[in-house]
Amino acid sequence: MSKNILLYSAILIFGLVAPFVFPAFKVQLSILCVLIVLATTWNIQGGEMGYNTFGNILFYGLGMYLCASVQVGMFFPLAEWTESGGEKTFVHTPAQFFQGMAVGLVVAAVVPTIVAGLIGYAILGLRGHYFAICTLGLGVAAGEISGGIEIIGAGQGFTTPPFPEVGGLEARGEFFYFLSFGALILTFVAVRAIYSTRFRLILNAIRDNEDKAEAMGIETMKYKIIGWMVSAFFCGLAGGIMGGLVGYIDSTDVAFDGREMGVFMVLMAILGGKGTLWGPVIGATVFHIFKEGFWTFFLGWQYVALGVLIVVIVIYFPEGIMGWLREKYPEKFGEVIDEKDRKAQVELK
Amino acid sequence: MKITRIILSFISAVVILFSTSVTSFAKVVGDKIVLGAAISLTGKYSSNGVHTQNGYNMAVDRINSMGGVKVGGKTYKFEIIYYDDESNPKRAAQLAERLISQDGVEFMLGPYSSGLTKAIAPVTEKYGVPMVEANGASRSLFTKGYKYLFAVLAPANLYLDVAIDLAVEKNNGKPVTVAMAFEQDAFSQDVRLGVLDAIKRTGSKKVIDDKLPKELNDMAATLVKVKQMKPDVLVVSGHTKGALTAIRQIAEMKVDVPMLAMTHCDAAKLSKQHGKNSQYALCASQWHKTLTYKDNFFKDGMKYAADFEKEFGYDPPYQSAESSAALLVFKDAFERANSFDQKKVRDALAATNMQTFYGNIKFAEGGQNVDKPMVLFQVMCDGSGKCENKVVAPTKWASAKLIHPIPKWSER
Repeated sequence: MSKNILLYSAILIFGLVAPFVFPAFKVQLSILCVLIVLATTWNIQGGEMGYNTFGNILFYGLGMYLCASVQVGMFFPLAEWTESGGEKTFVHTPAQFFQGMAVGLVVAAVVPTIVAGLIGYAILGLRGHYFAICTLGLGVAAGEISGGIEIIGAGQGFTTPPFPEVGGLEARGEFFYFLSFGALILTFVAVRAIYSTRFRLILNAIRDNEDKAEAMGIETMKYKIIGWMVSAFFCGLAGGIMGGLVGYIDSTDVAFDGREMGVFMVLMAILGGKGTLWGPVIGATVFHIFKEGFWTFFLGWQYVALGVLIVVIVIYFPEGIMGWLREKYPEKFGEVIDEKDRKAQVELK
Repeated sequence: MKITRIILSFISAVVILFSTSVTSFAKVVGDKIVLGAAISLTGKYSSNGVHTQNGYNMAVDRINSMGGVKVGGKTYKFEIIYYDDESNPKRAAQLAERLISQDGVEFMLGPYSSGLTKAIAPVTEKYGVPMVEANGASRSLFTKGYKYLFAVLAPANLYLDVAIDLAVEKNNGKPVTVAMAFEQDAFSQDVRLGVLDAIKRTGSKKVIDDKLPKELNDMAATLVKVKQMKPDVLVVSGHTKGALTAIRQIAEMKVDVPMLAMTHCDAAKLSKQHGKNSQYALCASQWHKTLTYKDNFFKDGMKYAADFEKEFGYDPPYQSAESSAALLVFKDAFERANSFDQKKVRDALAATNMQTFYGNIKFAEGGQNVDKPMVLFQVMCDGSGKCENKVVAPTKWASAKLIHPIPKWSER
């Protein structure tokens, strides 16, 4: 237990000092936090529950648009803000900016949760590939629809409120870093707490055999929906933060970016090891570092390098990094190997 | 749990990696002025991204070989750090941040497309990094009160409104019916607003107003409607892919329309790739090689086009020309500021008033170039099937007469 505390405090301290030790990497670190949140929440469906969803990007994008819209709409007419060629310039005062952001983030988290409940009720009856394809459609549809809504900028995109002039050059980076780091901690603590309850066992039961779980008297539908709502809550939050961080929301390229973020969150969870608490965290970190590295050193070939990485993961680490470690050092995961039993099995072969 | 140790060692590895990978270029190293640029080398804007990059490189080589930039009695050479933004605004914003805070770049060149410029501008603005951009034409870029953004091109709403005026003029001043199809992106939507203004101004009527998806490769649905409604003008805008798709499908479906107005014909190399099929298409352009502007570096448009062709093997589209012009503007501003102080360079940029082979450059309050009109050219083919772009409007620059209406497919 004491080691656990050591580990957590080490991470916490690293997180708190990181933007000051590596000031140039603040944006990358903020994005890393968001990536970890996305991977961790994807893992609730894809890893624990066995429902491969490509639809979580829906909540991320929804959160992004909602947060920005609220932040603007609270103080200025939204339609005039997003109108191209509008002659008026609106400027948020610092107080307006932060108030708007706070309310915006709450809305960005809550509304997607409700949406997840409604959509989940409709489609979580689907299983396997059918569910995956259906959720894939959700993300694509959301991108196309939002690209046609004038009040949020449609094809023009939505410029989020610029950071007000407080606290010098580094203030914006630090603000968004601590915001995303806070979201990361919130997500991790919440997910960890959830995983320590019976809820995780139920999700695992659904993954392993949904019919049997149902036969055991578990209302699987209810738990599937709740699981998705939890994911949606944190995805929406992450989206809201990301929108402010990027500063410009485009319907298909930034918000409902299923082709990149939507795939990356799956990839990160699988790379780290799905169905584990730490897997997505490690996966996202490794992925982000590799990705940034490729983008720097293999310019023009970055996607080839990334493709090779994915192939390597699938071939050599099908269970992810955590799965691989667990196989290599089972005793470190608290699994005891009975030598006698092992020998007996070897002889049998 | 032993796993703790693994994770701890992993974290320390990350720390080491981060701390060793900090390399920093200063803005001016030795005799080099380092500019930063995020360019679309992959993704949907990759072909135009390359046109932009070629334009930048061409100007860098030319300026460096002709004596470089003289600041404070010393001669400096331009150098550009490129990153690939994958045609993605999110990526572009990150890269701008990276160029400025990690690579220490203090002067930026713009990316390709309005959307990406929109994503980068808030970052450069925040750090007070002067950015001269050549490929972000969306009007909303110039109404945000940005002080460090300078665009050498005319805003997007001016691209095709001239075409509507032209159609009305050819219709003896009577209003016309207009069919429109625009890609859902910042640039094309702004072109649309310009066309809408023109429609309103001339009392014309829009009969079709379609949105095209970003990954554009089919617009048959719109063209079927065009066949039914028989509008006087069909306006299409969707970057290179939009131009290619429109020409391909109009020819396939034999759609007859008296006037076809588009953007990005030269970037799409329409006259070369589609030959006679692209004949009569009317295209908005920021620049054409036959315009008679002059400067000391590239002489004039014809010379620029010839040099460009020699170096890169194709006729320069206006995207390349305007990108080259961006560097001429930077050079001029550095020399007038006689300093590398960002504020002074910014002020010098704001006071720019010069002529380049690409056109006159003078910035308005919002950063857009107000001293350079758009031109319209028409693809014209001779009997042997060799096609060329000829300027038809405005009259001052016209080298050929507009062919109107476009002959029916059955009569070609």
